[in-house]
Amino acid sequence: MAPVPGSGLAKGLAVTLRTMTKKTVTEQYPDAQPELPPRTRGVIGLFEENCTVCMLCARECPDWCIYIDSHKETVPAATPGGRDRSRNVLDRFAIDFALCMYCGICIEVCPFDALFWSPEFEYAETDIRDLTHERDKLREWMWTVPAPPALDPGAEEPKELAAARKAADKLAAQQQPQEQETDGPGQEDRT
Amino acid sequence: MTLAAASHGFLSPTGVEIAFLLVGLVTFGAAVVTVTTRQLVHAALWLVVALGGLAVEYLLLTAEFIAWVQVLIYVGAVVVLILFGLMLTRAPIGRSPEADSANRWAALTVAVASAAALVWVVVDAFRTTWIDLDGPAAGSTAVTGASLFQNWVLPFEALSVLLLAALVGAIVLSRKARPARAGEASPGGASPSGASRSGTSQTGGAR
Amino acid sequence: MNDALDVTLRLLVVFVVFLAFPLIVGQTEHKVMAHMQGRLGPMYAGGFHGWAQLVADGVKFAQKEDVVPADADRRIFQLAPAVALLPYLLVLLAIPVGPGEGAVGQVVDAGVFFVLAVMGVGVLGSLMAGWSSANKFSLLGGLRTAAQLLAYELPMLLTAASVAMAAGTVSLVGILDAFEWWWLPWQIVGAVVFFVAGLAELQRPPFDMPVADSEIIFGAYTEYTGLRFALFLLAEYAGIVVLCGLTTVLFLGGWHGPWGADGLGWVWTLLKAAVLAFVVIWLRVTYPRLREDQLQKLSWTLLVPLSLAQIALTGIVKVVIA
Repeated sequence: MAPVPGSGLAKGLAVTLRTMTKKTVTEQYPDAQPELPPRTRGVIGLFEENCTVCMLCARECPDWCIYIDSHKETVPAATPGGRDRSRNVLDRFAIDFALCMYCGICIEVCPFDALFWSPEFEYAETDIRDLTHERDKLREWMWTVPAPPALDPGAEEPKELAAARKAADKLAAQQQPQEQETDGPGQEDRT
Repeated sequence: MTLAAASHGFLSPTGVEIAFLLVGLVTFGAAVVTVTTRQLVHAALWLVVALGGLAVEYLLLTAEFIAWVQVLIYVGAVVVLILFGLMLTRAPIGRSPEADSANRWAALTVAVASAAALVWVVVDAFRTTWIDLDGPAAGSTAVTGASLFQNWVLPFEALSVLLLAALVGAIVLSRKARPARAGEASPGGASPSGASRSGTSQTGGAR
Repeated sequence: MNDALDVTLRLLVVFVVFLAFPLIVGQTEHKVMAHMQGRLGPMYAGGFHGWAQLVADGVKFAQKEDVVPADADRRIFQLAPAVALLPYLLVLLAIPVGPGEGAVGQVVDAGVFFVLAVMGVGVLGSLMAGWSSANKFSLLGGLRTAAQLLAYELPMLLTAASVAMAAGTVSLVGILDAFEWWWLPWQIVGAVVFFVAGLAELQRPPFDMPVADSEIIFGAYTEYTGLRFALFLLAEYAGIVVLCGLTTVLFLGGWHGPWGADGLGWVWTLLKAAVLAFVVIWLRVTYPRLREDQLQKLSWTLLVPLSLAQIALTGIVKVVIA
């Protein structure tokens, strides 16, 4: 059956009228904070302690918006007769958010988990030059990064934990015989 | 209507008469500029002033219906049509030196002759007839309609036949171009049909 | 002297209506359009739901520089907004709001003709603007305006003539005096045709070909800035007010209503006009723009035949009644 002529027009009118009676979807942002998903990619935070100045992020950045300055420090050998170690010390870590296109590649490539997505998004500036944010600001944002989601029950232990536990166990195993040697008589007393 | 040069002196004009004279001067001036200006679109716009002035004159003569029809058809339709045609073909901003006509003296002669004839006829017909402004309007819609459909039905119908002929003519003209156009299939086909449209609307408006 | 006072007062009231009502319609359009699209619309200006948005817009327009393009025809360019706006003011003068002498700016004997004639003059403003801007888009906009006017003036006139035939007078007040409720179904086709043709003449969406922003920037008004541009916008909204008032008076019976006929007639007129203004906005939100050829086709193949049929129907009923 052919549609009644003009029924399409009437349908269009009905749609707009129905929309008018419904609640609007506008987010009144400055008055009301938006409800963002916890993992929203708002800005990039830096966890300085993890950074080794490997420069991977700066090199992979497609629009070269990461600035890193560093110098080398020599750490004296831990054991006598050992070799002095050299270590990179971060002097400056800045991201120019006027250039950043929020691709997240820097976060992906960071091998030491020093960069994180933070849901913070209110960092507009009135001057474009002020959009280059330095390490202190990046660190501040670090504290807004939500904790990683909990593992599934029964999941394999995370590698960091496994490594740490292994080291701790090893240390404990080393200390146990020593303790036994020194405290041997006392133990016997107790038993 | 009284034949009364006696009761209406020419030396003590009323406000309406002064207004009539002034508007007449403006209308005349606008009309002169219309035909003398070198700028095509300005000519059309001065025509608006002239036609509008004429409508005001009708109003002052209490012919309200004629005045509004004058605005509706001449300003609203004919001038728009002229402007449309000008803008569609060419409407340069500034002077167009070639806008001068070579036979302007002949045109002037014809214009003056026809104006003289009209003035003579009107003056001869009405002489010193005065319109009584205080009484019922002599040119109101009701009066015009009554006289049109009681005394002048035949000329009215003859005119409508003329307009019908113009309508049919416009359709015929736009139809004729079709077989020739079928071969070339050019986009130029839009203009003849556009012309026929404007033709119909004009005649429709006039009716 | 009392007469002069009376005239001044009437002119003043009409002028205030002329300035206020278009703004009200514009603000309503802001809000209704927003809500029909699931938005809120202006919320800040003036505090309460952005009621002063258009006032703020006006202040902004007044501050802007008045630019005239170098190649433009200066005087005509500057004159055009006034030519576009003033006719609507004159038309508003003749629209009766309530019964009696007191509720109309000026009783015009040939009201229907006056109103339609003067409304047609307003389009000259767009043509002048389009030509004098020295801009191709403006010229195209002007051309489209002219083509649209030529196409839609005819059905508008014919349907208005149908009402005049029904009432036996061309005076707006006379038409309202003769109005009966059953004219509504009798003239409904004419009403629709008149309203649609009026929309097209005002260049309101979906008939906004002459200002189609995706094709010709803003048509004839492309080169305008500041206050002159605001005047063109004001003319559009004044046009809506005039069209709604006119449709109310001609087809919907103006001050006649089921009850409250004495004293509250003007409320009926305003109410009907407001509903029509809402419909104007509603149509704008709902439908996409017509193409130029569709526009012409709609007028010549649909609206003109319909209005002729309406005239025939009016004539037949009139003869049968007589």
